[in-house]
Amino acid sequence: MSFLEGFKFRRKDTRIHKLDPRTKFIIVVVYTVLSLIFFNVIPLFILFLSTIFLIYMAESMNEWKKTIRGMFFFLTIIFILNFISISQNKIDYSLAMVLRFLTLTSIFSFFFLTTTPDELALAIEASGISRDYSLMFTMSLRFVPTLAKDLQTIMDALRSRGLELEKGGFIQRIRNYTYVLVPLIVYEIRRSLMIAEALEARGYGATDKISTYFELRMKRIDYIITVIAIIITILVILLKIYGMLPSWLFIKISNI
Amino acid sequence: MKNNEVVIETRNLYYAYEDEKYVLKNINLRINKGEIIAILGENGAGKTTLVKHFNGLLKPTKGEVFVLGKNVKDMSVAELSKHVGIVFQNPDHQLFSETVEKEIEFAMVNFGFEKHYIEERIEWALKLMGLEKYRNRSPYTLSIGERKRLTLATVLSYDPDILILDEPTAGQDFLQKEKIAELMNLLKHRKKTIIIVTHDIEFIVNRVERVILLVGGKIIYDGDKRGALTNYKLMKEARLLPPQVSQISWILYNLGVKLPKDILYTEELLRELLRIYKS
Repeated sequence: MSFLEGFKFRRKDTRIHKLDPRTKFIIVVVYTVLSLIFFNVIPLFILFLSTIFLIYMAESMNEWKKTIRGMFFFLTIIFILNFISISQNKIDYSLAMVLRFLTLTSIFSFFFLTTTPDELALAIEASGISRDYSLMFTMSLRFVPTLAKDLQTIMDALRSRGLELEKGGFIQRIRNYTYVLVPLIVYEIRRSLMIAEALEARGYGATDKISTYFELRMKRIDYIITVIAIIITILVILLKIYGMLPSWLFIKISNI
Repeated sequence: MKNNEVVIETRNLYYAYEDEKYVLKNINLRINKGEIIAILGENGAGKTTLVKHFNGLLKPTKGEVFVLGKNVKDMSVAELSKHVGIVFQNPDHQLFSETVEKEIEFAMVNFGFEKHYIEERIEWALKLMGLEKYRNRSPYTLSIGERKRLTLATVLSYDPDILILDEPTAGQDFLQKEKIAELMNLLKHRKKTIIIVTHDIEFIVNRVERVILLVGGKIIYDGDKRGALTNYKLMKEARLLPPQVSQISWILYNLGVKLPKDILYTEELLRELLRIYKS
């Protein structure tokens, strides 16, 4: 489960951590849009490099590395699937898709590494989404490690009763995992009911307007970054539509 | 000790979860056949981590573990589980079958037992744990006490020589605890080795012979229960409350009543108090 390391918040004192969560969210959106409009290796590579720079600024390289290492299996699958499913520009296209996946993973990792769950909830609420949904989202993040631990406990208990999870053919293995899923699902449903009761017992939903302990405030640097990020995005999109981007961006790697 | 056949042995056992620091440090243990042992310690002392080595769920980072004379290094969990049954704490983490009968059958099917034998064992286990009338019910419809008994039945059914109970009394009422104690008695007569992991001191006072105290992954005491439970310093180090009878004796002792300092049972305390009263 170490690939989840890059999605867990760590308290650190960097300029990135001090940014408003909404600014960071804009950065994530910008990167997502930019990485989706390009299908070429060079622009995606530039985007990927710049995400590494952001993570370096946030002093979170170690956590990020663990996540990327854990993603290696997925990356290989993405490359292979793209490679066999298309007929032209195989290497370029497959490599670009791998880079796109890396960029998206890194930018989301950047966001979750530097934004506290509290800030996240506030940012979601500030963007007009109701508290029920923001709570659901932050709680589901909070319970990922708990879920991993439950899973381990259940697997230990089943193995102690002689179940060999890795034994047998493909079908048998899938069947083995259903033994794991039943207690896991039942247990988590029971747990969520208990959490719901605990929330209500502590006054959740008593008033529509809640007071907050933290307050989000956009600073000057936040406005500057947001405006620059949006301008760059619009510019790149326009240049791409009118075909005015420099041609070296579209050079094929396999031709060099 | 009456019988000196060693069933579990650890030699300089160290264990660490993924590149973190050691949670078990230099554990050296010899557990004999037929012994009833309690492993005590506060949360996070490494109790469960230790017993998970006895059926191969965890393999030592350093050192060796032998079960029934064989090194566990090359043995699978399934192989070891036939001889070492672990009953985990939370029934909800373990039950998944459609009926109580199927739940009990599961382990025996995995071990490849014969059909008529499986049927026989299911009947035995159902009767033993008082679950006969629930045989066709879904395990999830049972009460927490019944579910706990069912998890015991699922392991007892295949008759392992060594039984490990992880917090058997957690969340159980008095009656359930008595039932678990009865069960332990029965298993004792059948010469089974029983290891219970717990911090329920009152429960073990009358039920185990040997106590192992774990603190921060190290064994600080291994021996006769009286030596541990009546030693104020050791119990404090392990962050455990001594049995209430011992606590009362200490209070009385400090008030000037001339009592021995290692009183463990109610009867002992009464006898001593009567002796003082008469003189």
